[in-house]
Amino acid sequence: MWLPYWPILRLRQGGLPDRPAVTIEATHGVRRLAAIGPDAAAQGLSVGQTLADARALCPGLLAREADPGADARALAGLAAWCERYTPLTAADPPDTTGEHGLWLDITGCAHLFEGGEAALAEDLQARLNRNGLLARCAIAGTPGAAWALARSLTTSPCTRLPAGRERHALALLPIALLRLDPKITAGLRRLGLRQIGDLARIPRGEITARFGPQPLLRLDQALGAAEEVIAWPRPPAPFTERLDFPEPIGTPEDLARALDILTPRLCTRLAGQDQGAHRIGAQFFRVDNTLQRIAVATALPSHDAAYLARLLRAQLETIDPGFGIEAILLHAEETAGLATPQADFSEIASSQEASRLSSAIDRLANRLGQGRVWRVAPRASHVPERAVQKTPPLQSQPAWVTDPSAPRPIRLLRTPEPLEVTAPVPDDPPILFHWRRRLHRVRAAAGPERIAAEWWRKSSRESEAVPETDRIRDYYRVEDTDGARFWLFRTGLHGGGRTPRWYLHGLFP
Amino acid sequence: MRPPFPLVRPSVQSDPDSSPVSPPAAHPVRTGMPKGAPALPPHLAALRDSIRPPRFGVLAFGDPRIDAYLPGGGLALGQLHEIGGVGVDRETGALPAGFAAALAGRIGGGRPVFWIAPRPDLYPHGLTGFGLDPGRLVLVCPDDSDTTLAAMETALREGGAGVVVGEVETLDRVASRRLALACVQHGITCLALRRWPYGRHGEDRDTSLAATRWRVEAVPSEREGREPGPPRWLLALTQARGGRPGEWIVEAGESDDATYPVRVVAILADPAAAPRRLAG
Repeated sequence: MWLPYWPILRLRQGGLPDRPAVTIEATHGVRRLAAIGPDAAAQGLSVGQTLADARALCPGLLAREADPGADARALAGLAAWCERYTPLTAADPPDTTGEHGLWLDITGCAHLFEGGEAALAEDLQARLNRNGLLARCAIAGTPGAAWALARSLTTSPCTRLPAGRERHALALLPIALLRLDPKITAGLRRLGLRQIGDLARIPRGEITARFGPQPLLRLDQALGAAEEVIAWPRPPAPFTERLDFPEPIGTPEDLARALDILTPRLCTRLAGQDQGAHRIGAQFFRVDNTLQRIAVATALPSHDAAYLARLLRAQLETIDPGFGIEAILLHAEETAGLATPQADFSEIASSQEASRLSSAIDRLANRLGQGRVWRVAPRASHVPERAVQKTPPLQSQPAWVTDPSAPRPIRLLRTPEPLEVTAPVPDDPPILFHWRRRLHRVRAAAGPERIAAEWWRKSSRESEAVPETDRIRDYYRVEDTDGARFWLFRTGLHGGGRTPRWYLHGLFP
Repeated sequence: MRPPFPLVRPSVQSDPDSSPVSPPAAHPVRTGMPKGAPALPPHLAALRDSIRPPRFGVLAFGDPRIDAYLPGGGLALGQLHEIGGVGVDRETGALPAGFAAALAGRIGGGRPVFWIAPRPDLYPHGLTGFGLDPGRLVLVCPDDSDTTLAAMETALREGGAGVVVGEVETLDRVASRRLALACVQHGITCLALRRWPYGRHGEDRDTSLAATRWRVEAVPSEREGREPGPPRWLLALTQARGGRPGEWIVEAGESDDATYPVRVVAILADPAAAPRRLAG
């Protein structure tokens, strides 16, 4: 699908007045037109003109700075919205040709529309036109052919090409429609090759020798002789349910009811294949061609419709229905077999309690976001900050064994805080130290406990910056005159190049 | 000028003999109480216990010097309890975390402990010494104090947890009421640790509706040679619904005692006589 005048029409959706408009960009100090609107084109303007020339031709011209990033983001948003037609949609950014477009793989989707592919394309165009967007579609057996046909000078807004007729249909189209590098296109033109059919007649070796592999690759892709792979931003989900509304809905109650209808459908299909959902996403298609998403994750795979609907409803408040929502798509983004082993919380007596626990974890994880709920497992490392690892909340865990002769603090500072310390040399604990603007006098201390960094973990950069002695820390457990207990360490040795430095790393209760 | 109450009463009460539950009946009871002792007469204490037994049982401290101060003879389970620190500990929250670990390790019978804190600096290896198995921990990291309160309530209401520990900046009447009600739903004990963000101090003025409020303060330990001995805390019960405030010096951790959270070393003077401590 080709979206002509995209940067301008996009801005117009955002409230740009309905006058001849262009976007401009400055190259070498000259401000040139980067994109033009349809009415500006009708006045004879073209891309690449200087702004001064354009103003002379069209006095009431509206000019905005070009913003390719925002154009691309809006295009990606529109591509996501097109997921109402097919799960495989991708933006076609103006990398080589300066034209925006969208890819839609509608294989196997058209029968959902009464009237097949033509009806689908018509519906898509009507919806886009209603929002002031121009679009030209082409439906063809290869991406390259569709691309060329959408941009060819036909009168119909939608071209359909039956599979296998690519060679015939493309033969008379200009060579620029092969998505070639502009330099290559110009070079081919100089040789008198103006149409795609001309290119197909030349011996292949000569073209490759002169222009590299691109022209023939594109030709083969357009004709179906070579595969073209489009990078779809979202892989298709096998479990998908959708609900279309004759009239747009908007109230939270309606949305919740719609979810209550969709979730059991999805869950029935999941249950039929003995699958449970780990992640469920819901997409809300708004009438103004935008899309809103929510997603919930569960710690244990589930196909309990009431439970999943409850999780989804809790997220509904983030949805802004705008002028209304005309379709909802629910898909299980991650699924797993239901025979996942249970958590091994030893005392969990009943399955009812286990389900309560996983429900509590899911509610917290979905409310707070991913990665906010975890459990911890010991890791075989002497370095304190590495001796703990995060594990998923419902995974079975190894047992914790601790060495009573080496007590550990209850709070571990993320980065050790440097201290000003008075300490006798060479190996004694400090006598007093400053921490957080307070003086602490040490009345009892235990240590040192020497902990060496794991030499096999050093990065190349680290090994240059830090002298070898700093890889060894001598930890002391000290108690000040008030009874507060700290975990300090000294790094560096006396007599070396640098004086030892002291840090506070943790606090004991 | 109004005369004091006993003198006014006859003039208000037109016929004192006709109302058997008139104030004079209360007077002998009041004078009959043991003078200066806050303890109730045995029959009244028994009556009160029969009216309001701790519904989900108690965690006894195993020492009558503490248990006598608490209704039911221990820390009431299925209730909200508040633990605070002193000085720099109000920011670091080390001692309150130690006390909470000592309590949580003995509550909930091995079911998971939800530890909900915006600052994830709890070090699991440090919990074992206080009797809490880190394998029970479910760590939750919300954005701030308010979301922590909401997360605590969610964890309490969904059930499945053994104990819910939350580190919060403030705990006002509304929040504590919500948490207390959520505790009762599944009988889960909730420990709210008061902890200020670094560099920001505030007064812990707000009055929560927690069943008990504790304050933990470090005191010098009994040295073993040059090394520090087992940690000693000044444990202050500043508020106890149905009980009375008290202060103790306790030792915690580094012991094999799986039953009781702390060992009482000494009981301090009854804080009723020292109002300084009551301010909290």
